Amino acid sequence: MTGASQTIHASGPARDGKIADRLARKRRFQNHVVQGLCLFATAIGLAFLVLILATLLHLGVKGLSLGVFTTVTKPPGSNGGLLNAILGSLIQTALGTAIGTPIGLLVGTYLAEYSAGSKLGDAVRFVSDVLLSAPSILIGLFVYTLLVTPFGGFSGWAGSVALAVIVIPIVVRTTEDMLRLIPVAMREAAVALGAPKWKSIVFICYRAARDGIATGVLLAIARIAGETAPLLFTSLGNLNWSVDLGKPMASLPVTIYQYAGSPFDDWVQLAWVAALLITFGVLALNVLARIVLRPRS
Amino acid sequence: MQIPSYFTASMLALSLVATPALAQQITGAGATFPAPVYAKWGEAAKAATGLELNYQAIGSGAGQTQIFNRTVDFGASDAPVDSAKLKSANLLQFPAVMGALSAIVNIPGVEIDQLKLSGEIITEMYLGKITKWNDPKIVELNKGVTLPNLAIAPVYRADGSGTTYVWTSYLSTVSPEWKSQVGSGTSVKWVAGNGAKGNDGVAATVRQVKGAIGYVENAYAIQNKLTTTQLRNKAGNFVKPSLASFAAAAENADWKNAPDYAINLIDTQGANSWPIVSATFILLPKDPKDTVRSANVMKFFDWAYKNGADIAKSLEYIALPTAVQDAVRASWKAEIKG
Repeated sequence: MTGASQTIHASGPARDGKIADRLARKRRFQNHVVQGLCLFATAIGLAFLVLILATLLHLGVKGLSLGVFTTVTKPPGSNGGLLNAILGSLIQTALGTAIGTPIGLLVGTYLAEYSAGSKLGDAVRFVSDVLLSAPSILIGLFVYTLLVTPFGGFSGWAGSVALAVIVIPIVVRTTEDMLRLIPVAMREAAVALGAPKWKSIVFICYRAARDGIATGVLLAIARIAGETAPLLFTSLGNLNWSVDLGKPMASLPVTIYQYAGSPFDDWVQLAWVAALLITFGVLALNVLARIVLRPRS
Repeated sequence: MQIPSYFTASMLALSLVATPALAQQITGAGATFPAPVYAKWGEAAKAATGLELNYQAIGSGAGQTQIFNRTVDFGASDAPVDSAKLKSANLLQFPAVMGALSAIVNIPGVEIDQLKLSGEIITEMYLGKITKWNDPKIVELNKGVTLPNLAIAPVYRADGSGTTYVWTSYLSTVSPEWKSQVGSGTSVKWVAGNGAKGNDGVAATVRQVKGAIGYVENAYAIQNKLTTTQLRNKAGNFVKPSLASFAAAAENADWKNAPDYAINLIDTQGANSWPIVSATFILLPKDPKDTVRSANVMKFFDWAYKNGADIAKSLEYIALPTAVQDAVRASWKAEIKG
């Protein structure tokens, strides 16, 4: 082949077959090295993930029993379960998402569709991004001064509001990003057909950005389902069965926080079970959303 | 229309299950140290009195803040609040139960309660003055025990903690040098050693590091089968950590001269007294905004005083003497608005 390549009017080093081969070898070698490094880095990341999941399964599954889901938390040695914590987590996560999502969605829509070039839009975007990276314990303290001290008590409501404050910036960011990905041509088409702006947003843009926005909401749920800090000083926790949102409410992360460091084997075991439940609950939610949001043929 | 009916049905089911929540609930928060015994008392009291106790172990400092802000029905703290602060916050302070701390070590070949230590030696370890386990001062107390040429690694609580308050109070009591140089508090400026978070953190560090010494609540040491040590008490005897030695210390307490029940149970008299015993306290508003709940808190502790001694014992805590219980009952009557 070297002879043939010389007959072609190639330019640069390719004119000389030997040099071309050497260069190609060098490039292949570099390619292999970088590919190897990438695989290595991926393997490290995956290894940690697998290790975490394996530890959770190894230590959590052996504590799983029907009692975990049918009895409330009890003192050490009394065969307690996690019923009140599971329910409290479900209620507060659901309420937090329900409060935070519409607000985040509307703010995200404003930023993507209405705020072009406005100072207010830039300010809102900046504040939202700051909120996104704010330590969640600060959000807990904020809600503590806003709702707990004035109303004279910890409550499930306060916990839900604290979680909602975490949800808002996540939904704002994903909604804005997803709406910006919609081609202008689609909006123009809607306007050309005589649709007012709100209709083009609701019926064209939202529909096209549905999956992305839903992913953002899922991310937010996954984040708040495991949050301890904002709940510690808002919903406090409850040892007993309680679905009263006006009273302190139990949750899985707070239960983990208290049980994991305790001297009692059965409490430590329940902490592992609780961690397993949160992790696989979020995983199941993700899988479910993938199935529901699958593009219909 | 299917979804709404589903919803109503599940709400109905929820409210049916939720009926027990109508029981009278009281909320308390604070010290971690007595949390297991409060939880166990709560379980037993619920069956006996119908009162539901929700006690959250958020730490002594946080417990004080919560009752200052009146966000809970009662606060709980291992370190007593001083009289001036109690007055300005309009709170009544009373003891709930007593417990003890143990020193734990990790020296190869040394078994549980085998090593003998004194407060003076422990202080010098935490001041970085005694650095080897085969130091003549330690060997002298432990004839017959082979101590290795191993570096001593003191471990302390890195987080603010009532346990640290009790431990440093002990070191301050036995050593004037510690008192002037470091002092006592929920967190202090440590001279030597390494920090770890929580009882579990201290226990884990001591387990991992050969030559380590640390301090934990005795219940924690028992549950986790940690290597505790004997300690020399004020009478000069070496005692093992046990309910008997804790009770001996409690018996010798001078409750009459303790303003606001802020009793000092560190290094008390008595041949068999364990030197590091402490009471843990409840903080109750004198002017409750909800008198029913406040009355329920008192009802709960009244029940616990009467019936909770065995539960306390099973978890390595000591109940209050009857005379102190009666004094607290009198304080409730006199000082809490009903």
